[in-house]
Amino acid sequence: MSLARWAEPAVPEGAGSVGGAQGADAGRESPAIHTTDLRKHYRGTTALAGLSMTVRRGEVFGFLGPNGAGKTTAVKLLLGLVRPSGGEAMVLGAPAGDRETRRQIGYLPELFRFPGWLSAREVLFLHCRLLGLARETHPAAVGEALETVGLAPRAGDKVGTFSKGMQQRLGLGVALLGAPALVILDEPTSALDPVGRHDVRRVVLDLRRRGATVFLNTHLLEEAQQICDRVTVIDRGRAVATGTLAELLGGVASVRLRVSGLARTWWAGLTGFGTFSAAGEWVVAEGIAPGAVPDLVAAIVARGGRVEAVVPEHRTLEERFLELLAAP
Amino acid sequence: MSPTLVIARLTVREAVRRRLVAAFGVITVLLAALSAWGFDRLSHARNVTSGEVHVAIPQSLIVFMFMFSFVVALSASAMASPSVSTEIESGILLAVLTRPVRRSEVLLGKWLGLAGVLLAYSVVVSALEVGIVDLVSGFVPPDPVGAALYLFGEGAILLSVTVLLSTRLSAIATGVVAVALFGAAWLAGVVGSLGTLFKIGTLRSVGEVARFLLPTDGLWHGAIYALEPRSFVAQRLSQSSAAAGNPFFATAPLAWPYLVFVGAWFVLVMAAALYSFERREL
Ligand SMILES: Nc1ncnc2c1ncn2[C@@H]1O[C@H](COP(=O)(O)OP(=O)(O)O)[C@@H](O)[C@H]1O
Ligand SMILES: [Mg+2]
Repeated sequence: MSLARWAEPAVPEGAGSVGGAQGADAGRESPAIHTTDLRKHYRGTTALAGLSMTVRRGEVFGFLGPNGAGKTTAVKLLLGLVRPSGGEAMVLGAPAGDRETRRQIGYLPELFRFPGWLSAREVLFLHCRLLGLARETHPAAVGEALETVGLAPRAGDKVGTFSKGMQQRLGLGVALLGAPALVILDEPTSALDPVGRHDVRRVVLDLRRRGATVFLNTHLLEEAQQICDRVTVIDRGRAVATGTLAELLGGVASVRLRVSGLARTWWAGLTGFGTFSAAGEWVVAEGIAPGAVPDLVAAIVARGGRVEAVVPEHRTLEERFLELLAAP
Repeated sequence: MSPTLVIARLTVREAVRRRLVAAFGVITVLLAALSAWGFDRLSHARNVTSGEVHVAIPQSLIVFMFMFSFVVALSASAMASPSVSTEIESGILLAVLTRPVRRSEVLLGKWLGLAGVLLAYSVVVSALEVGIVDLVSGFVPPDPVGAALYLFGEGAILLSVTVLLSTRLSAIATGVVAVALFGAAWLAGVVGSLGTLFKIGTLRSVGEVARFLLPTDGLWHGAIYALEPRSFVAQRLSQSSAAAGNPFFATAPLAWPYLVFVGAWFVLVMAAALYSFERREL
């Protein structure tokens, strides 16, 4: 199976027929993130080796890759915390790191701390001030953030007494201040318990409902599967695949079938559905388009066949992931 | 409120919360009480002539202020050495610098906050010492405000150097280098005085050069002059040239070109610090 099509720039479904409208749309709203051949070398290491990707506005975009793949480096480039060795990155229509644009970006770093001598509430107020939010809106914004991340009961406690997970919750609250158009979360659940993970999922889905774009760094396939509209799989500084998870997981399905009442090579007239091969008393049908399995079964029945069993050939997320990473 | 002021306020709050201000307070009260006792003994001693007391009181005040200048300068480097590097390492700055603020605003805010603490400390300590001496002996130095400002100036200089170093070096390395520089500058000043005393040109030029590389000792001499009774300076100068070799004695106020130089030095070091921080990758 070719991975090339996943690396192509994403085109919204049905955009082809409304090319003119799409052009106008693009002029009015640039993509949330657009990078071209973005590279970053450290002495002796290539952290990012030519990343080209587009994140559309309003989507939850997963950046999925193993440890050391270059996820954090990419995010730091997008925020202007480090300078690129080459290539280009645009965020919300401005060059990466643009100061005014940062007003619309919320960021939860991977490894970070807040001053331990401040209380959670004080950290949030500080960030309201740094964001330049109107003073009278601060208490409401802080209260809302505390509620959202479940820290309201501990709001007055010093951050120095917080567990890593609570710090991460606070970091998420800080990233939500000021109704950002883009929220970048770098491994947001790394220190969280299952409840915390659930909360993060809820927060991300709330953000999407509000129309914000979410860029989520994660090495957890499950997390990406649960909340991301699209993902880019990154490995050793390179994007190896991009698409919806359904696509990445093999947008095409494979099933094992047991059919009686027909000739031994009953599938001869059905090759439009995929490729068939006999395996004992089973037949394996591969490369079936998404949603086409019921049609295939109906076609068999229409020919007078009796479908004894249909078993989906499961390719697990991990399998697919490893396969992607093994690709040259 | 501008981001610079937000950060400055945060820095001052940190100094209060982390008991830095309390530590300053305790140390100052202890040292001031000690000096009060010493000055009282000195001015009421039976076996000392009143003429001798008139010389000894200002000299002792200068020595005490010298100690406080050490406290100010070393505190400046202790406070500032973790200010940038440690906050980069721990990730505190990641959240701050991704806000719509300039890096320069954050750095200047930190500088302002720490400088504010140092200024307050310098003024309080000077007022306390001068007040004690006045109370006990009736001696008032000619320019106490100038002395306090020079004291602060020394701290501010070390603060700026430390902030510059802290944009690149770890907190420990920064602290060590800053304290060593301060010590070396003071020693170079003493060496220069000895050069003047014994008319050894090379030694004198060591002192001269050091005054320009790190102007802490230069400003300290401004503080000394501000604390010396004018009559005493004239008398000392007419008596012997040995006075010029005394590291606790200044023959003249700081010349204004030197003060202009110190101003330029500040601008240069802070510009270097801002540039270095701007270029730093996080
Ligand atoms: N400051 C740095 N100096 C040198 N190498 C770095 C630095 N930051 C990251 N790297 C290297 O770049 C690669 C990608 O790191 P990172 O982006 O943190 O990966 P991820 O977030 O995907 O786990 C790693 O090999 C890492 O060691
Ligand atoms: Mg990472």
